[in-house]
Amino acid sequence: MTVHLYHWEPNANSGKPMLALAEKGVEFESHYIDLLKFDQHQPEYLKINPDGTIPAMVHGDRVLTESTPMMEYADDAFDGPQLKPADPKERWRMRWWMRFFDSYFAPSLSMIGWSVFVGPAVRQRPKEELEAAIARIPLESRRIAWRKAMFNQFSEAELTESRRRVLYCTGILERHLARHEWIAGRTYSLGDMNGFNLGYALPLSQPDHCNDAKTPHIMEWLRRIYERPAAKKIWALGRTAMAQRVKFLERATHA
Amino acid sequence: MLELYHSEPNTFFLKPLIALHEKQAEFQSRWFDTDKLEHFALVSSTEVEAQLHLEREGPLLRHGDTVISNSFFMLEYIADALPGEPLLPEAPYDAYRARASGQFLGANLGSLVPILGCVKYTAPRLQSLDRAQLDAKLAAVEPQERKMSWQALVDGTYTPQILDTARERLKFPVSRVEAQLAAGSWLAGPRYSIADIDAFAMLRVMPDLVPDLVNASATPRTCDYLARIEARPAVRAALAMSRSGKPHQHFVPGVEPSRWG
Repeated sequence: MTVHLYHWEPNANSGKPMLALAEKGVEFESHYIDLLKFDQHQPEYLKINPDGTIPAMVHGDRVLTESTPMMEYADDAFDGPQLKPADPKERWRMRWWMRFFDSYFAPSLSMIGWSVFVGPAVRQRPKEELEAAIARIPLESRRIAWRKAMFNQFSEAELTESRRRVLYCTGILERHLARHEWIAGRTYSLGDMNGFNLGYALPLSQPDHCNDAKTPHIMEWLRRIYERPAAKKIWALGRTAMAQRVKFLERATHA
Repeated sequence: MLELYHSEPNTFFLKPLIALHEKQAEFQSRWFDTDKLEHFALVSSTEVEAQLHLEREGPLLRHGDTVISNSFFMLEYIADALPGEPLLPEAPYDAYRARASGQFLGANLGSLVPILGCVKYTAPRLQSLDRAQLDAKLAAVEPQERKMSWQALVDGTYTPQILDTARERLKFPVSRVEAQLAAGSWLAGPRYSIADIDAFAMLRVMPDLVPDLVNASATPRTCDYLARIEARPAVRAALAMSRSGKPHQHFVPGVEPSRWG
């Protein structure tokens, strides 16, 4: 039974199931949904996910639309290496950190990303076109987000708070990785794949705060993940300069 | 040994109490009074997961040398690590649905229901406390958004507009649950599971907090669902652990609402 994955770039939510499937060794049929062209709000895609969010996975008659539980499904439903630790306490820690990434760290980081990348990438289009695009968005929360990005309505207070949280979270993650080899503890897991999607470009977006001197454990953790064949394979699917930022993690080779 | 640090059996605190009773697990109950902010000085653990409550306030489960936090993942942990009644859906897709439900309701109910409950019941009780002592306790609370939510309660800055918005936004998750129950008796597969414990703990107070939204004519399936769960012996045992006799009147500020507006 073919797995169909509807995704944008290997980045944030889209990249999570892409990397989990690759680590599991599951081939999937890729359907590229261009976020910046609002493909996710077009009628063809809304037939698959009426909420108009990406990614979505279709496996037989099953439709999955929440990216982190989707990663667990990828591990549960297919043969291949276990992507969750065997110890229940490590499994719990993996899940705690995925929620920390998804609901605490990511919203602040993405607010900055949407203000400097997504918004400017679409803003030059005619206002009527943008308003029509907003009107097609099914979820109120996504309409609010897109309006803010399209019309640059992020307040300075919001962005300042997001920057504060990104630094706060970066510090927490660095301390965690100083104590544990991987997010869950001793085992590479879905938690690392989730965190990599969030943080692979932190050294470029936050160069003063995430670097070899200040956050050596984060830097080493990101490089170890990017050395894995699955990460190389998935990030090679990127079509934009955004995904290309991952190359910063390549270790310098010495002759 | 298992120790559960909890307050009155309502919302976040009710979830692990039900699951532990379903498992018929032996545990030490460590009760605290959230109205007196006793939970901020609780559980000495250097682990970040215990210090940084993403639900701001919630139960903590000490199992051996590990302190488990976050009420939904605590349910998964109890289901996973303890013998007894199976509470996790077996089929991978049902397990996905349970996790997706926990995530959806955590974000949508977990951030809205507690605000309404706190304003109705917790805020008036806070007024009787010594303000200087309260301020001193709040000053030490981290992260700062946890402190700010309590500060807002104490200062009475939840405006009618904020509460109206919360009620309006509850329509979406309530309608989604009602639609899911039209497709099956339980939220994640053919059996009662952690998804139902999670949903019940938040939905149970809604006929009181938003009677126009959750009632026998507007949401008949949800009301029937709540009654079916409430009748379970484990649920009755969990609710019987209340010290006030009115657990539905005890709230803490919940998950932070979306910062995107």
